[in-house]
Amino acid sequence: MTTAAAATAPVLEYTRASRWYGPVIALNDVTTQVPPGVTGLLGPNGAGKSTFLKLAAGQLQPSQGEVKLLGVPAWGSPEVFHRVGLCPEADAFWENLTGRQFLTTLLRLSGFDEAECKERTARALDEVALAAAQDRKIGGYSRGMRQRIKLAQAIAHDPEVLLLDEPVTGMDPLNRRRVIDLVRRLGREGKTVVVSSHILYEVEAMTRRVLLVHNGRILAEGDVREIRDLLDEHPHTVALRARDPRRLAAAVVCWPAVVSVRLDPAGEWVTVETTRPDEFYGALHDAALEAGVVEMHSPDENLESVFRYLVAR
Amino acid sequence: MPIYDQGYRRYEARGPLRKARFWPITREALRLVLSKRAFLGLLLAGFIPFVVRVAQIYIVTQYPQADRVLPIDGRLFGEFLNQQIGFTILLVIFGASGLVANDLRTGAILAYLSRPLTRRDYVIGKLLVPLFLCLSVTLAPGLLLYATGLSLAPDFYGKWELAWIGPAIVVHACAISLVVSLLTLAISALSRSARVAGLALFGLMVGLEMVRVILQHGFRQKPAMLLSIQTNLRAVGTALFGIADREVVMAWGWSALVLALLSLGCLYVLRSRVRAVEIVT
Amino acid sequence: MRDTTRPLPFATAARGVFDLTLDGMVFSRRSLLMGLLVAAPMAFAVLYRVLAATRGQPPLGPTDLYALMVAVYWIRNVLPLAALFYATSLVADEVEGKTLTYLLTRPLTRASIFAGKFAAYVATTFTLALPAAVLTFFILMTAPTAPPLAAALADLPRDLGVMLLTLVAYGALFGLLGVLLKRPVIPGLVFLYGWELLANVPGYLPRFTLTAWLRSLVPYRPAEDGLAGLFQQVLPAGQGLAVLIFVSIAFVAAAVWIFSSREYVLDQ
Repeated sequence: MTTAAAATAPVLEYTRASRWYGPVIALNDVTTQVPPGVTGLLGPNGAGKSTFLKLAAGQLQPSQGEVKLLGVPAWGSPEVFHRVGLCPEADAFWENLTGRQFLTTLLRLSGFDEAECKERTARALDEVALAAAQDRKIGGYSRGMRQRIKLAQAIAHDPEVLLLDEPVTGMDPLNRRRVIDLVRRLGREGKTVVVSSHILYEVEAMTRRVLLVHNGRILAEGDVREIRDLLDEHPHTVALRARDPRRLAAAVVCWPAVVSVRLDPAGEWVTVETTRPDEFYGALHDAALEAGVVEMHSPDENLESVFRYLVAR
Repeated sequence: MPIYDQGYRRYEARGPLRKARFWPITREALRLVLSKRAFLGLLLAGFIPFVVRVAQIYIVTQYPQADRVLPIDGRLFGEFLNQQIGFTILLVIFGASGLVANDLRTGAILAYLSRPLTRRDYVIGKLLVPLFLCLSVTLAPGLLLYATGLSLAPDFYGKWELAWIGPAIVVHACAISLVVSLLTLAISALSRSARVAGLALFGLMVGLEMVRVILQHGFRQKPAMLLSIQTNLRAVGTALFGIADREVVMAWGWSALVLALLSLGCLYVLRSRVRAVEIVT
Repeated sequence: MRDTTRPLPFATAARGVFDLTLDGMVFSRRSLLMGLLVAAPMAFAVLYRVLAATRGQPPLGPTDLYALMVAVYWIRNVLPLAALFYATSLVADEVEGKTLTYLLTRPLTRASIFAGKFAAYVATTFTLALPAAVLTFFILMTAPTAPPLAAALADLPRDLGVMLLTLVAYGALFGLLGVLLKRPVIPGLVFLYGWELLANVPGYLPRFTLTAWLRSLVPYRPAEDGLAGLFQQVLPAGQGLAVLIFVSIAFVAAAVWIFSSREYVLDQ
């Protein structure tokens, strides 16, 4: 294999892979390849993302087809976990261990000697900003700290492949940012990172390549900008609460990017549909100040609306 | 902008609270337990001794001379209830050992106590589950047996001298059920695994019984009788029903005291373990 | 230098899992309860000496009491119960706690995971039983009415060996039940207090119990009531050792095979 080919050779390969639990098909005839770099695995709840990751991590056997990780079948190949790290979704630990003990134990189970365990533990704890709490029992950690120590155990042995199942759940904005930066850095270093999430903007911040899963099938894969463009074709809804909602409505209804404006019966909220959200947000600032906008959110700034749109096409 | 204290606060609703607010806890737990066919089978098996005793009454009414070998006076009911102690233990091991343990493991206690429920409501709601299970193999068949006796042999059981049987059945059944239920709940509260709690309860019962046998028979130490929960419960039964039991060698008052102290100990454990928030040091 | 093309060597992997499991097993309420149960004979032995000194010789001699403890209390009752307590939970605890994922995503073979956990169970329970047995032996065998200590001392290693074999044999069986069944406690109890009673019936049936073979390895025959008193058979000791070792290996192998082929879906 040439260097170029090796660089882009699939790290994770699904060949007509299906998985069912009794009568429920969790993953349905999936064929795809995940190259090196960061890939976002996106889908609504129940789409099959966790099953996809569990098949990749060798925790499940495909009912049909094949799943290969680093060239070997993922199921029944424990040696592959020298080079693979998994951050599972479940919030589960040996609660009696401290953060440091947790990492050291797992590093020892990855085959490192005492000195290396110590060094790698310290590095991983620094990476997730848990050095100060390393000697506290995990049972006393906050939700965000637990999520971070889980991530630390996935990266501590410096794997080539990282499978992260909802890695930023429960984290505050500062730590989310930290994790996003970490994932991007790992991708730049040539590692393969598969990040599962149902929040589009989080994955968008980490990578441009996404795999969209819906009802156990790959709905779309490719550059996230293409997904974003799809959103732009489909009117984007923004809800604003203002002190003078009618003034706001009067101001925005004339904008070319706005396709509809609705006032709620109580009179506080203005719901705007726009086909060019970037343009809309750019122009909103002055109008928002004049009308006294106090709150703003976008009900469909997530993947559900994308999927509804994609499924409806 | 005011910054509010984010510490845990007890629910202090001012609206009137329903009296039986623990009932949904009991109802749902019973529904879950009774939906398992294997468990229902075990519950039905607990009625086999009842059927045997009914047969005993019937045989004696048909052949009165059999009364010498199979007496059907008040002792019959005491022996029946003493035999059912084993069934109550089996039932609570399989049906109730996870009541608090599972909630501790999943953190569900916080969800319960964030409703208009006090810890007392939670404990009562949970306690009623093993209580129901135990009473269904003690009080229910006991009273049914008494009713059967009254209908099969009204001249015998209808006598004023045997009128104490009914209240004695109620008292003994309630004593057995309450002690076993409290013990089960306390052990469940000390674990985060239903399986471990069930095994611990079994181990405690069997272990203490073994220790009693060795000390009582091997060392001729009568007070060793008080170590065994089953024997203490049987002692209460022998006192109520006038049964002769060679294992019961101490006055029933001591057994009652031990059982009362055990119950208080269980309540103390429940009080300390059933908390919304667990402090980890 | 790590060999990343192969799983960790069996011994290294098992040792790592052993350390992890031992820590959780030893410092637990479960072990406190089991420790008290296993250590009860020490209290009996002390009580025996106190009673013998203050009220004269109790009905049982010290040797008889020791025999009762070994053959009935430990081998027949408490150690199998300890095996049920711990061995059914070897994998189940990790599944319930959802921590099995961490072990299954390390370069460890499933056989080494099970072996490490099984070794931790044996170490924990034997550590609880060993001092209790040794102390009970010395407390009783130094009683004035006991036979010369030097003569009795040879029995101690044998009894400890049989106790270890009890833990291993029952542990292997219950470990298998633990991976095979979702609810292994009921079948375990039925086996211990139902099936094992077949050890007391005449004929060939006792050979299908563990109790009968374990009994054959110790010379103690304490008086028992009922069937045990009437029909107790003594099977050949050499055969007993071979059978127990064979079934232990077979049960562990079966458990490893089932554990290796089973999927664990922990998030549902």
